Amino acid sequence: MIAVLRSELYRALTVRSSWVSMVGALALGFLFSWFDAEFWSLFAGLGAFGVAVVLTGQHYQHHTTVLLYLGQPHRLRALAAQCLAAVLIATPLAAASGLNLFSLNEGGQYAATLSVVPLIAVFGVAATTVVRKPVWLVGGCVGWLLFVEGMIWRLEGSLPFSSFLRAATGDVQQLVVFGWWTAGALAVAVWAVRRDLTGD
Amino acid sequence: MIETRELTKRYGRVHAVEDVTFTAVPGRVTGFLGLNGSGKTTTMRILLGLSRATSGQALINGRRYRDLDRPQRQVGAVLEQGLTHPGQSGRAHLITQALLAGVHRRRADELLEYVGLAGVDGKRTADYSLGMRQRLAVATALLGDPPVLVLDEPGNGLDPSGMAWLRELLRGHARSGGTVLVSSHLLAELEQLVDDVVIIAQGRVRLAAPLAELAGGDQSRLRVRGRDPHQLWQAYQQAGAQVSADGEVLYVAGLTAEDAGDIALHVRVPIYELVAETPNLEEVFLSLASGR
Repeated sequence: MIAVLRSELYRALTVRSSWVSMVGALALGFLFSWFDAEFWSLFAGLGAFGVAVVLTGQHYQHHTTVLLYLGQPHRLRALAAQCLAAVLIATPLAAASGLNLFSLNEGGQYAATLSVVPLIAVFGVAATTVVRKPVWLVGGCVGWLLFVEGMIWRLEGSLPFSSFLRAATGDVQQLVVFGWWTAGALAVAVWAVRRDLTGD
Repeated sequence: MIETRELTKRYGRVHAVEDVTFTAVPGRVTGFLGLNGSGKTTTMRILLGLSRATSGQALINGRRYRDLDRPQRQVGAVLEQGLTHPGQSGRAHLITQALLAGVHRRRADELLEYVGLAGVDGKRTADYSLGMRQRLAVATALLGDPPVLVLDEPGNGLDPSGMAWLRELLRGHARSGGTVLVSSHLLAELEQLVDDVVIIAQGRVRLAAPLAELAGGDQSRLRVRGRDPHQLWQAYQQAGAQVSADGEVLYVAGLTAEDAGDIALHVRVPIYELVAETPNLEEVFLSLASGR
């Protein structure tokens, strides 16, 4: 698993599109941290989710999952290493993007957000492992967030992104709810990762 | 050694492969031939643990791929058309794979030199030609210096010098005791490379035999043209041969050229032409692959 982790981290740092997604997440988080702490939490979370989707989705997009599984045929170990790699990349990015919150005396929100960012990174890896097509996943998530969670539920329900946002404000109950969402996504991913790799 | 035993893969009602059994032994290059959709890629993917078999077994050195200890040190694989992230340089790709395989990154530099990509290792693989990507794929397969190589159409995109390089590499690997399983549709090239042949069609193995046996086997025949075809026909039939005719030319199976010449002399019929015709790999492949 350590070999997969080292390989994934090295790959993330040597692929241009990974850099773009990381810089994008950092810039968006940093930009919105000047406006409002909750906005920062939203974009720090979406940035972590996006980075996780890009890191994992690239493998499916370019079929390098084949190489990954040739190197680590125990796919659960590969999945675990991918989750860890996403957490190790997404969390420092979110932390760096929100340093401005201390000047706004929003240290509590900063800490609460950073406690839930690793979960949304894992959620992103799990969702990508299930869907396998990052463009579909991102499109679907944007639509879901805007229309279902935003317009219909007004970010009040216990749906994934809403519970993430409320957990990021320090709501422990919603942290547990989002933990369950992540665990559910991981459970489906554990099943999905065993599927055949086709040449398509 | 590579071994498949009654390997079957079904997708719903579609039988992708059915009871596929063959072996590829150390010290020899085994060619795996089949038309598109015949099941050879499916077989290779099951062998490498990328797809699961419905039933049967695919083993490398007696174990399933997923049960191998440090698999990339035991098996090197080339699949599809050079799998890389297009935004990564050739060198970064190889180091990524070296880290995955638990191999020192120095090995990546050695292999870049070996496959002739040292001068372009900083370029993004998206800017590589197909041949360069294939060379990189071969380098990736060789990272762990594995005794077993499994290659799916490795010659695609290689120019003639690249093909010669690949041929020598694979022959050398077999000479040093390695096992090589290679699929290709470039039959003329494969004929110069392989020791054993496995032909698969419609998901079933139609033939598994040494190439030499194929060339000198039952399917070879004599092409005979003489002054009196009718008399020759009778003489050859009496000697137990199977004879067919195309105009003045007789096709004789079941006799050696020496026997056919002696029989013609015995019945005093002058021979104008006596040629041993051996079916080449392409003819055998096409007749078996089409199910004829």
